[in-house]
Amino acid sequence: MRSRKYNPKTVTVFISMCVLAVVMLYPFAFMINTSFKSKEQYFGAPGRSTVSWVKLFDTLPVWKQLLNSTLVCAGAISIILVVATMAGFAIAKMRSKATPIFFLGIVGAMLIPLQSIIIPAYINASKLNLLNGYWGAIFVYAALGSPFATFLMTSYFRGIPDDLVEAAIVDGLSYPKVFLKIALPLAIPAIITVIVLQFIQVWDDLLVGLLFIQDPAYRTITVGLGALSAGRVTDIPVLMAGSLVSAIPAVVVYLIFQRQLVNGLTAGIGK
Amino acid sequence: MAKKSSLHQQRSRVGIIFATPALILVSAFLGIPIIQAGYFSFTEWNGIDAKWLGISAYIQEFKNPIFWRVLQNNGLLLLGVPVAILFPMGIAFLLNEKVAGWKIFRSIYFLPTAISWVVIGMVSMRFFAQEGLLNELLKAFGLGFIKTDFLSSEKGALFAVAITFVWSMIGTNSIIFLTGMATLDQSLNEAARMDGAGNFRIFRSITLPQLNRFIQFSFIITVISAFTALFSLIFVMTGGGPGFGTTTLEFFIFQSAFSRGNFGTGAMLGVILFLMMAILGIGQLLLMRKKDE
Repeated sequence: MRSRKYNPKTVTVFISMCVLAVVMLYPFAFMINTSFKSKEQYFGAPGRSTVSWVKLFDTLPVWKQLLNSTLVCAGAISIILVVATMAGFAIAKMRSKATPIFFLGIVGAMLIPLQSIIIPAYINASKLNLLNGYWGAIFVYAALGSPFATFLMTSYFRGIPDDLVEAAIVDGLSYPKVFLKIALPLAIPAIITVIVLQFIQVWDDLLVGLLFIQDPAYRTITVGLGALSAGRVTDIPVLMAGSLVSAIPAVVVYLIFQRQLVNGLTAGIGK
Repeated sequence: MAKKSSLHQQRSRVGIIFATPALILVSAFLGIPIIQAGYFSFTEWNGIDAKWLGISAYIQEFKNPIFWRVLQNNGLLLLGVPVAILFPMGIAFLLNEKVAGWKIFRSIYFLPTAISWVVIGMVSMRFFAQEGLLNELLKAFGLGFIKTDFLSSEKGALFAVAITFVWSMIGTNSIIFLTGMATLDQSLNEAARMDGAGNFRIFRSITLPQLNRFIQFSFIITVISAFTALFSLIFVMTGGGPGFGTTTLEFFIFQSAFSRGNFGTGAMLGVILFLMMAILGIGQLLLMRKKDE
């Protein structure tokens, strides 16, 4: 084992991986570096300062937008979890003639791109008065996330032996009880995967937030930032400080739940 | 016997009740709107009143040179797909060597998956700018004469978007291939080596076939991303410009409806995008079915 340290192939591989790491980390380095400069310093003046950070918190309601992002994520993820765990359990363990219809109707919706439905969905939501608070965005996010979440939950519940469910039923438990007391606790790994995937998806989204949250006071941090950049704000260090703030929560979640994220990603490959 | 059948009844009844909320949610916000999009695609629609045009709505759009220009942009972006697959495949091979610290490298490569296109776009914009890092790098390599603001020309801007897209797919696709490599059967390699097969031969005849479904999966994910995931990136980086230089179909939908008020045209473009993705998805499914048999 010790000799592999001096193996030229290993050294080449290691160096290539370091180079690639620099390429992948560059945006973070750029954001951090730039955010600790004033506008003048960005354009070449020497030194560093925290001016841009102060300016960010003066010009953008950062805390409010972080709270908005959190609320929208929490709302959408809660809805997704409720409907997807129930539907997944029903499709996997309470089969009937109607099951394929439900499976196709829910999971098949994965094929529909957001951009294809966004115009009618936007008009509908505006008619239903859903554009004034968080709800329009929450429902759209929930609907977009549910098909894949249902798919994940279904495959997870299929891994639970039928006998386990049957035995509990014979013992006198009802199906809802089996779901709550036996299936859900067993499904916690899959539930965490759904939460992490959806958190990153919703936290990072621009388009839905941009259209379905009309009142700027309810804007999420990503939408606030997107609107700022589209307004052609030229104070780049401020934008970079804002980018960093918006990226940090998702990066933290990523670092903690990396494995679940990877599981979610590769779940679609199948056998 | 009677008990069993009532149990069966209970099971299907509860099953239907359990699956209904998801179906309602998905129908209300995805299913019904896609049907509406189908209807409104045949109309001139400003969001309130719709005038029926029938098939001529589509014919009109097909005569619009901008529509073809937009599709051409999508086509050009697809040129990035092989790079976005092969490069990560190489990276996965490197990671699979499992040299010291490979797990840390894996985390680093996958990290950009966690950050939004808005953030990526904002950094990327500066990278490709006149005074950006790319021009400095070119200068350092003696290619200073190329110096240009990439985002100010149509071709340059599309190139910048494509590179950013490929960069952002690296993490996802590397992870997919790394997962694939964990499933490789090493004994096959050894057997082939005994028979005198070289590295390349082993890669081509033994490794690649085993990775087939992972290549397919990453291909689908990459193409779907190229068509439907780049809205925010384009919105932040180029706004679809200069001209229509970086307007892809998904961005054109947004522009038609929300910048120009042509909701009917937007709906139609959405239907076209949907059909393209559905054909891709169903094609993939059929291909997999065929393999299974």
